[in-house]
Amino acid sequence: MKKILCIVVVLCMALQLAACGGKTTEKTTDAEFKPSLDTKANCKITVVGSYDNFEALEAEFDRFNEFYPNVQLSYMKLDDYNNVLGTALESNDKPNVFFSYTWMMGNEKYASVCAHMEELSDPALALDIDCIRPGLINHDAEGRVLLAPVFSRTYGMLVNNDLFEKEGLSVPTTRTELMAVCEEFKNKGYASPMMGYSLKSNTSTFMNTIAYPLFVATLAENPEALEPANELDPATGEYTRPALEAVEQLIQNGCIDLAECDKIEDNYTKVILRFFEGDVPMMICPADTVSGTKKRESQSEAFSSAPFSYTFAPIPLTEDGGYFIDSPSVEFSVNKDCNDLDMTNEFMRFLITNKALNEMASVKRLVTPTTDLSFDSVYAPFGQVPADRTISPEVLGIKDPLAVQIRIAAFRVGVGEITVDEAVKMYGSFE
Amino acid sequence: MKRTWVTVVNVIIMIAMLTFVVLYSNFESRDTTQRQIEHFENTTITMEHVTENYLEGEQRICDVWARYIDKNEMTIEEAISFIRLSHVLPNTSAHIVYQDTLSGLSTRARRDSSDEYAVSYERVDLLNDVAWISDIGASINISRSYTNPINGEQSIAFCNFITLIDPENGNPRKAILLRVLPVSELEQKWVFPQEEYESIELSMIDANGDYIIKGHSFKNSSFFEFYKSYNTIDSVSAQELFGKITSSTGSIAMQNSRGEECILAYTPVDATEGWALLSFMPIEGLKADTENWLLIGVVTAGLLILFVFDMAVMLNFNKKLQAAAREAATANKAKTDFLSTMSHDIRTPMNAIIGLTTIAEKNLGDTVSVGENLRKITLASNHLLTLINDILDISKVESGKLNLSPQTFSLVETVENLVNLSQPMIKEKNIEFRFRASRMEKEYLYADKLRLNQIYINILSNAIKYTEPGGRVSVDMHQEESQKAGCVRLTYTVSDTGIGMSPEFMATMYQPFSRQTDSRVNSIQGTGLGLAITKQMVDLMEGTIDCQSEQGKGTTFTVILDLPVADRQREDMLLEPMDVLIVDDDEVLLETAVDTLESLGVTADCAKSGLEALGMIMHRNKIGQDYRVVILDWKMPDIDGVETIRRIRTEINSSIPILLISAYDWSDIEDVAKEAGANGFVSKPLFRSTLYDKINELLGTEAKSVEPDNDYSDLQGMNILIAEDNDINWEIISTMLGMFGITTERAKNGRICVEKMDAAMEGTYDLIFMDIQMPEMNGLDATRNIRALSDPWASSIPIIAMTADAFSENVTECLNAGMNGHIAKPIDIKLVIKEIRRIKEEKRA
Repeated sequence: MKKILCIVVVLCMALQLAACGGKTTEKTTDAEFKPSLDTKANCKITVVGSYDNFEALEAEFDRFNEFYPNVQLSYMKLDDYNNVLGTALESNDKPNVFFSYTWMMGNEKYASVCAHMEELSDPALALDIDCIRPGLINHDAEGRVLLAPVFSRTYGMLVNNDLFEKEGLSVPTTRTELMAVCEEFKNKGYASPMMGYSLKSNTSTFMNTIAYPLFVATLAENPEALEPANELDPATGEYTRPALEAVEQLIQNGCIDLAECDKIEDNYTKVILRFFEGDVPMMICPADTVSGTKKRESQSEAFSSAPFSYTFAPIPLTEDGGYFIDSPSVEFSVNKDCNDLDMTNEFMRFLITNKALNEMASVKRLVTPTTDLSFDSVYAPFGQVPADRTISPEVLGIKDPLAVQIRIAAFRVGVGEITVDEAVKMYGSFE
Repeated sequence: MKRTWVTVVNVIIMIAMLTFVVLYSNFESRDTTQRQIEHFENTTITMEHVTENYLEGEQRICDVWARYIDKNEMTIEEAISFIRLSHVLPNTSAHIVYQDTLSGLSTRARRDSSDEYAVSYERVDLLNDVAWISDIGASINISRSYTNPINGEQSIAFCNFITLIDPENGNPRKAILLRVLPVSELEQKWVFPQEEYESIELSMIDANGDYIIKGHSFKNSSFFEFYKSYNTIDSVSAQELFGKITSSTGSIAMQNSRGEECILAYTPVDATEGWALLSFMPIEGLKADTENWLLIGVVTAGLLILFVFDMAVMLNFNKKLQAAAREAATANKAKTDFLSTMSHDIRTPMNAIIGLTTIAEKNLGDTVSVGENLRKITLASNHLLTLINDILDISKVESGKLNLSPQTFSLVETVENLVNLSQPMIKEKNIEFRFRASRMEKEYLYADKLRLNQIYINILSNAIKYTEPGGRVSVDMHQEESQKAGCVRLTYTVSDTGIGMSPEFMATMYQPFSRQTDSRVNSIQGTGLGLAITKQMVDLMEGTIDCQSEQGKGTTFTVILDLPVADRQREDMLLEPMDVLIVDDDEVLLETAVDTLESLGVTADCAKSGLEALGMIMHRNKIGQDYRVVILDWKMPDIDGVETIRRIRTEINSSIPILLISAYDWSDIEDVAKEAGANGFVSKPLFRSTLYDKINELLGTEAKSVEPDNDYSDLQGMNILIAEDNDINWEIISTMLGMFGITTERAKNGRICVEKMDAAMEGTYDLIFMDIQMPEMNGLDATRNIRALSDPWASSIPIIAMTADAFSENVTECLNAGMNGHIAKPIDIKLVIKEIRRIKEEKRA
C-alpha cells in the first residue's frame, strides 16, 4: 500500500512538474562570492571596449545578475576606441568600466583616461588582485594597480595536428626541427608551410609574431640593453638582429610564402578561415586571433565538412624551443567618476576571481591571467613551456615604443623593403 | 481481480485524467500564449509605425536643413551656424563632414575643449561606405548606433548628402549632414507599452543584423551573431531566418544569453532599407497565468483523496472478504465434515427401514410380524424424512427463520419412534438403556410433532453416541401441571455415563457444527447440527434446555416444554377388572407401571425378578386366582424374561397370556420368546395407551379408541382432480385414493387442470390435489387462474397443495395463492384422508 501511494504521489508530482510546461533554468551560485550590497539595487553598469562582441563578459553579466537581478549590465563597443575613450569618460553617458592598456600608462595622450582610473589595489575594494599572475599586473609610479588584466596575450602558431599526422610528421619543438618540417611540407607540395597576416604593419603581422618574442627574449638575456632599447637608442638596434634574421630566414627558406600570406585580407577572421581551409600546417598569429577560432569553426564550410584537431603552440625559434610571452591583452579599469561606483566595484569584485576570469578565458578562448593557468585545451602546448622560457614584458620593463620599433622593423624586413642590417641601424627611427 | 490490478487501473485512470487536465490546461495555455504572441506581434507592428513616424519626423528635419543648405549654397561655417540656430533639443547636435576627408564641423564643441568644433569620422567606420544614404527626401537615412566623436556618447545620426561651397575656391564640395541624437535620448522616448509587457526590450537592426538601437538583453554587436551564439542553427538556415527577419513580420522562439526561452517579434521598418524592428522578451513574460493550477490542484487532490478513500474502502472490503472467506472456508470445511459424517445419521433410519423390510419379506406369511415391521418402517421413514428436513432446516436455523407447524400428535407414538430409532445403536454398543415415563396423563398434545421428535432424538442419540459400550443411558419423561393455560409441562431428561463435555465446549455447543472432540470418541459421527437445531427449536417452543456435564462422568440434558394439550384424548381407556402381574428389576418402572395399570382399572402386582414372579404366579395358580395377564421384562438379573416364560409354561403349565417387555429391539429374540410361550411384545416405556391396547389385543378384546373407525364410506363416490406431472406420483395417489373408493382424474400440468375446471360441469370434482412444480403452468398460477374463473363453483373448489415443497414458507405461498391446504410429499395417506374429511366438514359447515 505504501509503495503504491509513493508511486502515485511521485507520478502526481512528476505530472505537475511536467504540467509546468516551462523550462526551469538551474541557477549556479558562486560559493566564493557573497554580495555585499543590497541585492535589490537597481542601476546600470556599462562596460566599454574595442571588441565588437564580448560574449564571455556578457556571460558573466548573467551570472552577476543571479546575485543582483535588477542591475543592468551591458557591454558597448566604442568606435575609434583609443581616440574616443577620453571623451566618453567625460560624457553624460559615462561608462563604468573600460578597456585599458598598459601602454596608456605614462602616455600623455591618455593622461585624462588614466586620471579616471580607480585604484583597484585599494584594500577597501577587496578585489582579489592576487589571483592574477604578478607578471601581468602593472603598478604605476605610486605602486597602485589601476588596470586589472582579464586576458593574457601571447604569440605562437596554430598547428593543424591532423595534417602533421596525415603527412607522418611531428610538430617541431626546435628551430632545426621547424626548418626540417617546413622542408618536408614543401616537398609534399605545400606552398607555404607557415602562414600569417602580412598586409599592414600597424597591426599584428606574422613578422611581429615571430620577431617580438625573440627580441624580448634577447633583451631578457641582456638586461643592460633594456633601458637604452626603451629609450629607442639606435645602438641597441643590434639586439633586434636575431629576431629579424629569424623572420628573414623563414621567408627566404620558403617556410613562409609571402605571396600566399598576402592573400589573407585581415589579421583576424581571414586568418582563422584560411587556417580552417585545412591545408596550412602552421598559422602564425597572436592568441587574440585564436580567441576567434571557436565561433568560426561553424562558419567555415571547409572546417565543418572536414574538421581537424588543432592547437596553439610557441614557435620554436631556438634550439631550446619557443617562448611564452606572457603579457596582458585586455585590462579593465574602473571609471572612478561613473554613476553607481559602489555597484561597479561590486561587479569588479565579482569578476576579478579565478573562477570568473577562467570562465571568461574559456569562453573567449584566450589565455587566462590567473595564477592557476587554467588553459583551454587549444593552449595545451603553452602549459609545457618551462618557467625559464616564460617572459613577462611588463615585468621585464618593455615599453610600448620599443614594441612599435620591432613590429615595424620586422614587417619591413619581412616584405623585403629593407635588409636586416638596415633595420638594425634604423632602430629608434621607425614610425 | 487482484488488488494490485485494481490499484494499477486506478492509477492509470488517475494519470489519464490528470494528463487530460494538464494537456487541456497546457492547450489552453498555448492557445492563450499564441494569442498573446499575435498581440505581441501586432504591438510590435504598432511600435514600428510609431518608430517610423518618429524617424520620418527626425529625418524630415534633416531634410529641411539639407534642402536649405543646398538651396542657399552655404559654406560649412554658414551651414553649421544655420543649424546651430535651428537647434531646439539640448542633447542633439549636427555634424557636417566633407565626403572626401570625412572631417568637418560640429554644431557643438568637444566636451574637453569648449572652442573645438572640428569633427572627424575618419576612424569611425560609419561613412566610409555611404551607399545607405539616399537623396534628400527619398528615405530615412539613419546610421547605426556609433560613438559620437565629439562627446563620446552612443548616438544615431540622420543623414543627407549636401553640397557646400568651398570657402577657399568657391567650388561646390560634397558633404554629409548628420543630425546626431544620443541613443539614450531615443531610448527614453522609444519604449514599449510597459503596462502590457514588463520585460520587453526593443532593438532596431540593419540589413546586416547590426544594431541601430540595442536593447539591454540583446547581446553582441550584431543580432545575427547574438542569435547564433545562443541558438543552434546551420549557416543556410541562419541566412533564411535572417532574411525573413529583415523582410517580413512574424515571431520566433529563441534562447537568450541565459538560456531562457524568449519570443522575438520582428517587423521591417518600411521607411528604411532592410531595417527591422525587434521586440524581445522571455516567453514567460507573455504567459498570463492561464494554467489553471487551482483546477489541476483540486483535481489532483480530489483524485488522490478518491484513490486513498477507494483504497481504504477496498482494504476494508478486502478485510471483510478475507474474514468472510475464512468463515466460508471454515463453514465449508465444517460442511464438508458434516457431509462426510451425514451417512451415519441417514444410515440409522435407513438401516431400520432396510432391515425391517428384509424381515418383512422373510415373514410374508406372518401378517402380524409384517404389520409390525411395516409400522416400524413407517416410523423410521418418518424419522428419515425428519432428518432430511433437519438438514435442510439448518439454513433456517442459521437465519432464524425456523417455523413451527403444530398439530395433534400422540406422545406415545413419539416415544415409540424414539425408542425404535435408538434401538439399533443401543444394541450395537451394548449400552444399558432405560426409559421411564411417569405421570403421562395427556397422550395427545398439540405441537410440532416433527420438531419435538427431533429435539428428543437429537438429545438421546447424542447420549448414545457419546456413551462408550457398557455404559448406561437413562431417559425420564414425565408430565406435570403447567403454568400456561391449556398446557402440560413435559419434562424430558436424558442422562448418560458418557465422556461428558468440557466447560469450553459447553460454552459453544449450541453453535452449528460444534462437536466435542475426544480421542475416545473420534469414531463417533454426527452432524454437529443437532444441538444447534435443538436449542433453536426449544427456544421457538418457548421451552428451556439445560445441560449438566462433567468430563469423564457423563451428561444430563433436561428439556422442559409447556405444550398445549390436544382436544382429543383417550380419556375412556378402561379395562375390565383383572389381576395383572408386572415383573421388572427396575423399581421405578414397576412403580409407574403399577400406577398406569391401576389407572386402567386393573389390579396390578409387581415382582422384581423372574424367580419372584414364578413364585407369585405359582401361588396364584395354586389358589385358583391366576393372573389374567403377566407382563415380563426381558432383561433381568437372575433369569431373563424368556427363561421366566419358559418356566411358567413348563413348570406351572400356565396358559396365562404373557407380554414380554423390553427397552430393546426384540426382533432377535422374537422367535425364541414365542417358542418359550410369549404371547406378545410391548416396548418400554409402558404408556397407558400402550398397555391398554396390548392387553386388549392379548385378551382378544376390541380396544376402544377415539380413533375414527375404519369406515370410509363417507368417501365413497368422491371424484378428485389431481394435477400431477409425475406418473409415479399420480399412480401412488390415485391408487391410494382408489383404496378408499375415491375416483380420480389427472391433469398433467397446471394449464390442463385449469382447462378441465373451466370445462367441467358443476359438481364434477369435489376437490383438487395440486402439485406445485409442473411444466407449462405451475400449481400456484393454476390455482390463481382457477380462482379467477367466472363459474362460482369452479372458482371456489377446494384446492389442496400436494408438493415436495414442504417448508412453512411454501405452505404460506400456497395459501396466499388461494389454496385451502397443504400436504407434503412423501404423502401420508392418513393425512390425506384427514385432509379430505376436513374439507368435507368445512363444505358441510
